Amino acid sequence: MLNIKDLHASIGEKEILKGINLQVKPGEIHAIMGPNGSGKSTLSSVLAGRDTYTVTSGEIEFEGKNILELSPEERSIAGIFLGFQYPIEIPGVTNVNFMRTAVNEHRKAKGLEPLNAAAFLKIMREKMEVVEMNPSFSSRGVNVGFSGGEKKRNEIFQMAMLEPKLAILDETDSGLDVDALRIVATGVNKLKRPDNATIVITHYQRLLDYIVPDIVHILYNGQIIKTAGKELALEVEKRGYDWLING
Amino acid sequence: MTENNYIYAPSEHPADKFRCKVPMKGTRQLFVIDGGVQGTAAPLSIKFDEGNCSDEILQVIGVRTSSGPKELSSESSFSFGQNSQGRLILCSHTFAEDPFITKEKIKISLAPNSSVDIVLMQNEHNDAEHISEFEIDIQRDASLRMVFLTLHGGKISNNIKVNLNGENASCDLNGLYIVDGKQQVRNLVSMNHKDPHCYSSQLFKGILDDASVASFSGLIHVWPDAQKTQAYQENHNLLLTKEAKVYSEPQLEIYADDVKCSHGATNGRLDENELFYLRSRGIPKKEAQLLQQQAFAYAVLDKISSEELKERMVSLTEQRLRGEFSKCKNCCKNCC
Repeated sequence: MLNIKDLHASIGEKEILKGINLQVKPGEIHAIMGPNGSGKSTLSSVLAGRDTYTVTSGEIEFEGKNILELSPEERSIAGIFLGFQYPIEIPGVTNVNFMRTAVNEHRKAKGLEPLNAAAFLKIMREKMEVVEMNPSFSSRGVNVGFSGGEKKRNEIFQMAMLEPKLAILDETDSGLDVDALRIVATGVNKLKRPDNATIVITHYQRLLDYIVPDIVHILYNGQIIKTAGKELALEVEKRGYDWLING
Repeated sequence: MTENNYIYAPSEHPADKFRCKVPMKGTRQLFVIDGGVQGTAAPLSIKFDEGNCSDEILQVIGVRTSSGPKELSSESSFSFGQNSQGRLILCSHTFAEDPFITKEKIKISLAPNSSVDIVLMQNEHNDAEHISEFEIDIQRDASLRMVFLTLHGGKISNNIKVNLNGENASCDLNGLYIVDGKQQVRNLVSMNHKDPHCYSSQLFKGILDDASVASFSGLIHVWPDAQKTQAYQENHNLLLTKEAKVYSEPQLEIYADDVKCSHGATNGRLDENELFYLRSRGIPKKEAQLLQQQAFAYAVLDKISSEELKERMVSLTEQRLRGEFSKCKNCCKNCC
């Protein structure tokens, strides 16, 4: 599904990703762990098409097609979803308007008619239940005045609405208390299907107790320095990253 | 309302007279054609009687036509009696492509304990110049909320002078201006706090495209006796191009020592983080930018108290931001 080959990316003059190789198959859950500044968030932004980063070499293939030239919206339509570490507040744009616009753009790309208001609200309510979100949030400005937990739930809600093939969840656990973490993780697990895949980016093992990965990668200094099964996450939890970096 | 001073739009419209084809529910229309009231050609003077609390909205539609002079000066007045409540929609349109210059003086006076809500919509063509001088007098315990929507026009200037004359007088002034091409908009506000315990707020927001120019100059003047004044002012501008220019000039002159006053001004571009967030959900760049602009405008539109009118204005604003000429749904624009 996703095939990253020797990906290099920089911001300004500074190279952050220094040759990433990663393959993700349908049905898999990958975890990418690594200390601060290792390039985890850069990798997720580059996958989603953020133009503040320049890809200097390498390839990203998604379902057999090179996506490097695609805009963020084209990547979304293609089935890539980024759950933001810091979801953006957009005062004045209501959640419902935001999602209706997004869902209808996805439908348009598939040659479907836009959903009418009633049909849309019905789907929206169903999907809000996935993350136990209060329906009153739909009429509020996107993420405006939301707590950390509510913002992350809103990310997973959006993911539920857009039904991506590949979801990249960037530090979805940061700023969450145990209850919010459970709700968010349950949401992600409910959305799991044999034909979609998830990349979970995280600092800590904690989230991986709830979302169990098939494969764990350690990212350090812009490269993946180790790949193993889920036991690797437990080992990192016990021993930290030093033994990997210096070993 | 005093009948003598109030000419209703007749229920039967002669074919040659202007009327609104898509009037809002609960409104009455009154047309001012080239400076004179339709039917009498007299200057417009509206009085709301003491204690009059009608829910009806009076819509005054000012129209410039090709039969009027190129340059026109007119005066109109609105006075609201003690304990009255009034709601007005004031529209100015041009229905010919001729170059027009319209100079208007508008007096608005609020007697004690009256409460008034005014939405003003300026929607003219690129060759129209419209200079409006508002002289607003608000007495004890009276309150005014006004929303200026400057949607289209070659050169529009609003000179708004407000006197808060009497304790607990309050004035909430809001403005949204959307300019593109070579359009120019100027808002000049002078908010005079003459008595204690008065409240005022100003929120003016502008969206500037192409080589348009806008300016906002807002004075808050607190007189020595006006203790416990609360006065706030904000002006925010969104510049969509490098060629667009905005001048924002807040001024505070405070001669009392126990007051709460603040002002803030920002001039900026569309937020890149917001834009990426919207696009990452599949919304094309153009639509995402439009959503951002609508969101920016909404804070002002949200001040419109009538839900139906707000909805209409939100939709007109959207059309305007999409680069279409704004007109109400199903309106043929020629008002006849």
